[in-house]
Amino acid sequence: MFQKWWLNNKLKRLISNNKLNKSTHLQRHYQYLFTQLNKPVSDINFLALDIEMTGLDHKKDEMVSIGIIPIIKGQIQPGYAQYKLLKIQGSVGQSATIHGVHDRDLTTALDTSEVIEWLLQQCQDKVLVAHHALLDIQFIEHALLKLGIPVHQLFAVDTLQLEKQRIYRKKQFIKNGELRLNACRERYYLPIYSAHNALTDALACAELLLAQLNKMGGLEHIKLQDILRKY
Amino acid sequence: MDNSELQPIFDFMRKLAPFDTLQEQTIKQCCSTLTIVYYSKAQKLVHVDTNQPQLYIVRTGAFEVSTQQGELIDRIGEGQFFGFSGMLSGEKVVNQVHILEDGLVYHLPASMFDQLRGSCYQFDRFFNRAFAKRLRNQSSLDRNAIDTARITNIMSKELTTIAPDATIHDAAMLMSNKRVSSLIVVDQKQLCGILTDRDLRSRVLAKGLGGNLSVASAMTQDPTTIESNSLIFEAMLKMSENNIHHLPVMSHNKPIAIITSTDLIRSQSSQPLLLIGQIQRQPNLESLIQVSQKIPDLLYNLISSDAKASEIGRILTSVTDALTRRLIALKQKQLGPEPMRFCWLSFGSQARQDQMAGSDQDNALILEKETTEQEAKYFKQLSEYVCCALNECGFPFCPGNIMAQNPVWQLTLQQWLQQFSKWIKSPDPTALLHASIFFDMRPIYGEISLFDQLQTSVLKDTKNNDIFIAALSQNALQSTPPLGFFRSFVIERDGREVKGIDLKHKGNALINDIIRIYALSVGIDEVNTSKRIERLVTQSAIDKDIAMNLLDAWEFIAHKRLTNQGRQFNQAQTVSNYILPDSLSSLARHQLKDAFKVIYEAQSTIKLKFLRQF
Amino acid sequence: MDVQTLTYIVVGVTFALYIGIAIKSRAGSTKEFYVAGGGVPPVLNGMATAADWMSAASFISLAGIVSFVGYDGSVYIMGWTGGYVLLALLMVPYLRKFGKFTVPDFIGDRYYSQSARTVAVICAIFISFTYIAGQMRGVGVVFSRFLEVDVDTGVYIGMCVVFFYAVLGGMKGITYTQVAQYCVMIFAFMVPAVFLSIMMTGHIFPQLGFGAELLDATGNSSGIYLLDKLDGLSTELGFSQYTQGSKDMIDVLFITGALMFGTAGLPHVIVRFFTVPKVKDARSSAGWTLLFIAIMYTTIPALASFSRVNMIQSINGPESQGVPHAEAPIWIENWEKTGLIKWDDKNNDGKMFYSNTETNEMNVDRDIIVLATPEMANLPAWVIALMAAGGLAAALSTSAGLLLVISTSVSHDLLKKNLMPNISDKKELMYARLASAAGIIMAGYFGINPPGFVAAVVAIAFGLAASSLFPAITMGIFSRKMNKEGAIAGMLAGLLFTTVYIVYFKFINPSANVSDNWLFGISPEGIGMLGMVVNFAVAILVCKMTAPTPQAVVDMVESIRFPKGAGEAQDH
Repeated sequence: MFQKWWLNNKLKRLISNNKLNKSTHLQRHYQYLFTQLNKPVSDINFLALDIEMTGLDHKKDEMVSIGIIPIIKGQIQPGYAQYKLLKIQGSVGQSATIHGVHDRDLTTALDTSEVIEWLLQQCQDKVLVAHHALLDIQFIEHALLKLGIPVHQLFAVDTLQLEKQRIYRKKQFIKNGELRLNACRERYYLPIYSAHNALTDALACAELLLAQLNKMGGLEHIKLQDILRKY
Repeated sequence: MDNSELQPIFDFMRKLAPFDTLQEQTIKQCCSTLTIVYYSKAQKLVHVDTNQPQLYIVRTGAFEVSTQQGELIDRIGEGQFFGFSGMLSGEKVVNQVHILEDGLVYHLPASMFDQLRGSCYQFDRFFNRAFAKRLRNQSSLDRNAIDTARITNIMSKELTTIAPDATIHDAAMLMSNKRVSSLIVVDQKQLCGILTDRDLRSRVLAKGLGGNLSVASAMTQDPTTIESNSLIFEAMLKMSENNIHHLPVMSHNKPIAIITSTDLIRSQSSQPLLLIGQIQRQPNLESLIQVSQKIPDLLYNLISSDAKASEIGRILTSVTDALTRRLIALKQKQLGPEPMRFCWLSFGSQARQDQMAGSDQDNALILEKETTEQEAKYFKQLSEYVCCALNECGFPFCPGNIMAQNPVWQLTLQQWLQQFSKWIKSPDPTALLHASIFFDMRPIYGEISLFDQLQTSVLKDTKNNDIFIAALSQNALQSTPPLGFFRSFVIERDGREVKGIDLKHKGNALINDIIRIYALSVGIDEVNTSKRIERLVTQSAIDKDIAMNLLDAWEFIAHKRLTNQGRQFNQAQTVSNYILPDSLSSLARHQLKDAFKVIYEAQSTIKLKFLRQF
Repeated sequence: MDVQTLTYIVVGVTFALYIGIAIKSRAGSTKEFYVAGGGVPPVLNGMATAADWMSAASFISLAGIVSFVGYDGSVYIMGWTGGYVLLALLMVPYLRKFGKFTVPDFIGDRYYSQSARTVAVICAIFISFTYIAGQMRGVGVVFSRFLEVDVDTGVYIGMCVVFFYAVLGGMKGITYTQVAQYCVMIFAFMVPAVFLSIMMTGHIFPQLGFGAELLDATGNSSGIYLLDKLDGLSTELGFSQYTQGSKDMIDVLFITGALMFGTAGLPHVIVRFFTVPKVKDARSSAGWTLLFIAIMYTTIPALASFSRVNMIQSINGPESQGVPHAEAPIWIENWEKTGLIKWDDKNNDGKMFYSNTETNEMNVDRDIIVLATPEMANLPAWVIALMAAGGLAAALSTSAGLLLVISTSVSHDLLKKNLMPNISDKKELMYARLASAAGIIMAGYFGINPPGFVAAVVAIAFGLAASSLFPAITMGIFSRKMNKEGAIAGMLAGLLFTTVYIVYFKFINPSANVSDNWLFGISPEGIGMLGMVVNFAVAILVCKMTAPTPQAVVDMVESIRFPKGAGEAQDH
């Protein structure tokens, strides 16, 4: 009850916030969230997202690549998956060993502003989903800030948080590494993907979400407001 | 585009038959049309939208296809498919798909599926075969055991076609280039005729016509064809009925291959009927030994043609029977006719008709009366010859010496009656060990009436003999299926070496034991386990659910054992009854556990029913 | 270490032993048996059968009865031993040839009738049930003493233990487990008997001590024979002479008969004979069984006498003036906690006194005698603990067998074959488990509210068996002409007659239960024998009036009695 009321209010305020008028996409995104809050997740369009960065600190590290894959009415759509590389100031450095994107690959990369614009466009009628959403959102917000859109209010579904709740309901403590994407997937007997690639991880996250929602009682019985969080 | 292609999906599809036959570009195209859905056990059924048919590709999880009446048609695990039947037959899907284990499923839209079938014939053939197999599972229980191999396994892989307006000259060139004896005449992908080398001779050369003649005028129009999901047997039948040697193989009204009488002959060289025929014609032991070397190949072929395990058992046993009969006949040619009536008996697996690789021989003689020294010598020579010959033909001596060459088992009918009567009256451990071998008996050669008298009398003694049946049950319960307390597999070890699960002794043998007890308790004269079950069910002597479950479990375990042996044979390993659970897919493990559980339940049932314990 | 801790340990160890054997014999594959070349040796099978046979009644109660009533108690010993001989020699070989191992199955087939079978099933259930009720009482006594709770709570605990043992445990009916149980039992029984014998008479064997002279305080022979001493004590205290019976000859005869013929009809014992594969082995294991039973039964009179003397002396004191309750031996205190010994200080002198006159102040339950013996004689604590383990072994081995008979008879014979023919095999198993649970609960009820002492309750079970099943089995074997109508009528008449008689004297009008009111002076314990006679008479009468037996059945009976094929096969 409270959750719903709070999300409702928050979104209403955001929609009427003039500062955000700069981005119609963002407005539409909020509008979409607002109208869908009460709907079952089986009717909702999600956008599973994963960002590879040069490090974990949004203040000094940069985004390297973004992968997105939509989930429409409970079906993952690989055909509409997209992947963007971002231009960066420095070098990918050591992080290349993790995400496999090397400086030489970034020749075709786009400016951060372009990519953020594209991302907002992609999610105007979708709900963001990520594993450990906080990190991704921090980077996006930081990028938005640079573009002069001072947003501190993005909403997303976090598969890591969902998993954490599920485990806590069963036992008292969580072991180190138990919430990693692949560890979570193993619990649902989902195949393990080796590549640390933004798009693969987005897919992995999308599949995990479907598995979690099914285990939580089925897509028809969960409403968006039950799982959406503000960041 | 390149960057947004999803590596894990592509990797999976690329390795998945039949997609592995497709071009890389086509697979990528394919991947982009997929959608991914997660199915959870809680949903119970996969909701199949009949208006929007699609191919369901199982990425993880396990599913079960059954008819609306609930009859199981197929179990589907990782890397397998469902939903293709409707698209192939064009009928609305009425089958139900149950979700056994949660999992991811890729949906491939019908448009893409049809496009792939159109563009790749291996792809199309794969699903046609799968569909045919499914139909068989659905409809037939008691097919003729002999011809289980499908024509798809033997037909030529390449299809040589020619247009009707090409010239005879072109056709002849093509035939000699491709070294084929026939051409399929195709007009806009539709079959319109067949041109064989016989046609060239009789319709062109014999009439003195020239090479500029069109193919259409010399070909046989609307030739007899055969569907790709047919059996070799059906192809043979069609050829001999129509006196032809070539059959275009059709799939969905399109020719996909041609099958010739040569193909059939080549395939039949290790086929059972032919093998039996060969056995019957061999003049001496040496040639029989040579012929019997084909038996492992026959077994391997049968396994790879995906025949039912019970059928394979019947086929192999019919070969052994023929071999035994031929050997007796050969020796009798030399020894002269028998001095008295006798019957050559087989016991154990040969009697039950479930012989598999490496089965040893269990046999004996019933004699009409006591023998004189002279007569005894005759039977000694005969039985020693046959047993030794069988040994050389690949049926090793019985380690327990239960063989016709052992004088202990050359008994008169009276002696046999007493022997059985003793076992039944005093079911000590030796008697019970013998029971599992001797009480499954079948006549192979000679005077059947001797056998009939013995069997009738034995069954009369066992029927309603609660004490004997209780002792048998007690004995059968000594060995239990290899399932631990928490439904985990119990693995046998030999010192440090992990041997795995003994599918024969901890699986099929237990079911045979259980069913034998039931059969003896009501006096059923069948010895084959599935036939016994059939009779028990008609006499309501067994709980129908348990009976049907046992039948399924028997077939499943035997099938797993055979495919495992086929793999071992193929990789030139020692063929054994052991299987490692790790080598099975999660679905197969699940099914194997179910099968063992069925045995466990049947054992508790006989414990209550015959031992009055629980 | 105190007695209680020791008891827990000994009982725990014996249970671990049973379970260990069960697991081991299960794991051993059949092949090992074959190598050994011949199943269970007759000696061991004899021990296992003896364990089945020696119930809590024999172990706990029989010595008690003999101890209290003296000579009269010997009817139980005679009856049961005789019955065993009758069963092993006269009936089992024929039943075996018939190929049936439950009595109802035999009767159903022999009398070609489902109704005959059903009647037999009901009789069997009834008998097993009465018998098991007796066992529950025995188990209750054991637990009450050693857990120091009252006897009712002891029965509840016993119910749980028996339930787990019989219904859930996988160790029942395994020969080697029962061999172990016999060993525990006989050891537990013999140790105190031997100790007492040495202490009181100087003889190692209690059987010899029974007829010997007592030792005085200095360890020299006192010149007084044990039995004379007992006779003296008994008459002095107003009991009848120990070696002289108080029952009429006819009653003694009938009770003995009822026990004897009842034994032959006991369903759970017959089964045991068929677990041996060969007729010959069955015979020799029956012989061994007899020996193993005899070891215990011959000890009973001696043990009974020893403890009787001990008990009277420790209550009444050496001078027969009574011992002050405050100075009562510890065993009296212990048993008072269970409610099985009660002291009522009628003359307010603070002293206990035991007699058969109005001066009696003690109420001692007979069932405690065997269990209290080690304490009375101040034997070491481990002997007391051993007694508990022995008593439990006796009760468990018998109850498990009986519960199986009850539950499978209910689920298979009554439900599946009669009332609910369409139930699935799984359901049948479920009903069997339910039936055994119900059996235990009802048995527990009768254990708490017993219509007599353990041995007496059991005697009634034997009476019912004698009056219902025994004639049907005997005539089934030895009479070619007996038909189904006769057999059914006979069984019903016998059962009804006996039940009515017992119910009247034991439940409806217990105050009338004195010999003056009895029919021909036969007590309810012995009426089963008369019921048997009634059964025979009715059966023969009805048989004469109804259609003759079909020829096929006549031939079958012939073939059982004069085996053709079997003999030749044996010689072969």
